[in-house]
Amino acid sequence: MSIGLLEQAVLSGITNGFIYALIGIGIAVIFKGSRIVNAMQGEFAVVGALITVFAMQAARMPYPVAIVAGVLVGALSGAVIDVLFVRPMTRRGASEESFLLLTIGLSFTLAAGALYFGGRDSHLLPGFGGQGVIEILQATLPVHAAWLIVVATAVVIALRLFYTRTLLGLSMSAAASDADGATSTGIDVGRMRLLTFLLGGGIGAIAGVLVTPLISMNYQMGIGLTLKGFAAAILGGLTNPLGALFGGLALGLLESLAVVGFPSGYRDVVALSLLVVIMIVMPNGLLGRAGRRGG
Amino acid sequence: MNIVRKQLAAAAVLALAGAAGLAQAQPKAAEPYRVGALLSVTGGLAVAGLPEREGVLLAQKVVNARGGINGRPLEILLEDDASNPDSAVSKANALLHTHKVIAIIGPSAIAQTVAIGGTTQSMKVPLLAFTGLGPPVERERTCVMHMTPSQELNARAMLSYARDTGYKRVGVLHDSGYGQVIWNSMKTLGGEYGIDFAQVEKYELTTTDATTQAAKVKAANPDAVLILGTSPAPFRNVRQLKMTQPVIATHASSTYENIKAMGEAADNVIHAEFLVAEDPLPQQKEFVEAFQKEYGKLPKNFAAAGWDSVMVLAAALKDAGPNPSGDKLCAAVRRVHQGAMTRYDFTAPDMGGFILGGYTYSKLVGGRYTRLDYKAGAAK
Repeated sequence: MSIGLLEQAVLSGITNGFIYALIGIGIAVIFKGSRIVNAMQGEFAVVGALITVFAMQAARMPYPVAIVAGVLVGALSGAVIDVLFVRPMTRRGASEESFLLLTIGLSFTLAAGALYFGGRDSHLLPGFGGQGVIEILQATLPVHAAWLIVVATAVVIALRLFYTRTLLGLSMSAAASDADGATSTGIDVGRMRLLTFLLGGGIGAIAGVLVTPLISMNYQMGIGLTLKGFAAAILGGLTNPLGALFGGLALGLLESLAVVGFPSGYRDVVALSLLVVIMIVMPNGLLGRAGRRGG
Repeated sequence: MNIVRKQLAAAAVLALAGAAGLAQAQPKAAEPYRVGALLSVTGGLAVAGLPEREGVLLAQKVVNARGGINGRPLEILLEDDASNPDSAVSKANALLHTHKVIAIIGPSAIAQTVAIGGTTQSMKVPLLAFTGLGPPVERERTCVMHMTPSQELNARAMLSYARDTGYKRVGVLHDSGYGQVIWNSMKTLGGEYGIDFAQVEKYELTTTDATTQAAKVKAANPDAVLILGTSPAPFRNVRQLKMTQPVIATHASSTYENIKAMGEAADNVIHAEFLVAEDPLPQQKEFVEAFQKEYGKLPKNFAAAGWDSVMVLAAALKDAGPNPSGDKLCAAVRRVHQGAMTRYDFTAPDMGGFILGGYTYSKLVGGRYTRLDYKAGAAK
């Protein structure tokens, strides 16, 4: 095994880890603010990416404006889902399993919508910094992947500050963890949940815009992204966006290094077996019990 | 009043009798030839099933516009097996027993073809499958025609190009589905072609990233890289690693949708395939022009195979007469047919007659295919 190969595996693992983390962060944000396990987070990424693509191609918008449009539509789709589905179900006292079923069903519905409006083709977006690569020692990293890492890190830092330093962030956490208590202190629980879905949809759309230049995007990629993001979020403790980042990195690196150490056909077997071991040893996630409370 | 009623009743009876007589005297509308098309239009194989459907529907339209077959229109009943062999079996049974089709076009994959071929063979219903000859049992199924080459021939087509271009050590990236099947054939052929497989790496069928696998291939420093699969991801990854080796791929990854998803990484990829629509061969021009007129885009291999399947069947029905028995129709299909994709010989042992010389080699330049001046088997 050459050092160059190992370096490349680490860089690829980090890149994939940040991709998984971006989805996992959105799942963690929605769970933290609503206690709903969102099985359609990958669909927000698809919506954000496809809106950006069509804003550029059909509406001839400049790339930055198209990105804003994609993120806004992603955020709005999160809010619409809260208003149309989550709110009425909450009023009728729906259980956690019902919400899980709701988001699974909506993931298929959104995928069908993406197919109907966006077609079957896979779409690429231009990479930030073009198609170039950065040479690091004996390995390469696409310039866009470096941007993805920077933006994902910034999102995590911003979320941590938002949830720990701002009244709104604290209110959103409080509304989810103790709705009655939050209401008695004057917090509008319904509004906080709406903002949570708005935020989760927006983060999902940011993820979609960031991953599309690297892996391309089509209508049926949401479920795959959700599954990897879900693993990242659970590894990180589910309620903690920072934990999702660590979870995503752990998953990405395990997958990548498994290919170096074992025949590539065993990649998923090795990586997922190690995840099982991690969850047995650390049942509260990589950051432990304290991490589950963090932002 | 009674008389008036009787006269009216008599007039009504006469009118009804006249109408019945008129109906009997009019020629009966021509009964259509009813054919099933069982394709994978959704699911993992839709990349093949969708263009096959486009080719099939276009050919049906053209055949009917020309007056049908023996004065009868061609009716095609489309079914989607959702890329699932179990679903293919139930859909095939419905086509055979409920709709009483006289032939089935499809399926899109080998598992489905093997699964339903036993039934269609015993019922003597021609099956025009978009697969190459598969397991030994298919050699007995003389009414199952193969509209695409076997994976062994696809492997040989790639190895021929590699050998004749002087590449002695090649790296292989293959997916866990279609690519695995080709690799299973290819790995036994290296010695025959004087080619050493420097590094072989596998990636999942639905992968979005195979960078580490590509890095292992890069570390082996091969003369060329063979990519066996339908995903655009490994093509991008190879170029992201700044690998400068030629990339050779099969016709399965050669679709305009795929090269769009490859982005700049598509440049210089070589495909062992059949149809370069930008520069069609004389026998391909009619199809390419009709396809472009109908759909506003250029076709590739799977669409050509779809078109050919209908044209093969139409020619066989014309030869076999108005109401042929299953045996007679099977015999009529089993002949040589010049198609848009290639020249088929359904009398050959592989029930398709594919040969290395039938392949066309293309190179992608700026998102467009260019035909290479190379024929497999010509050089040693």
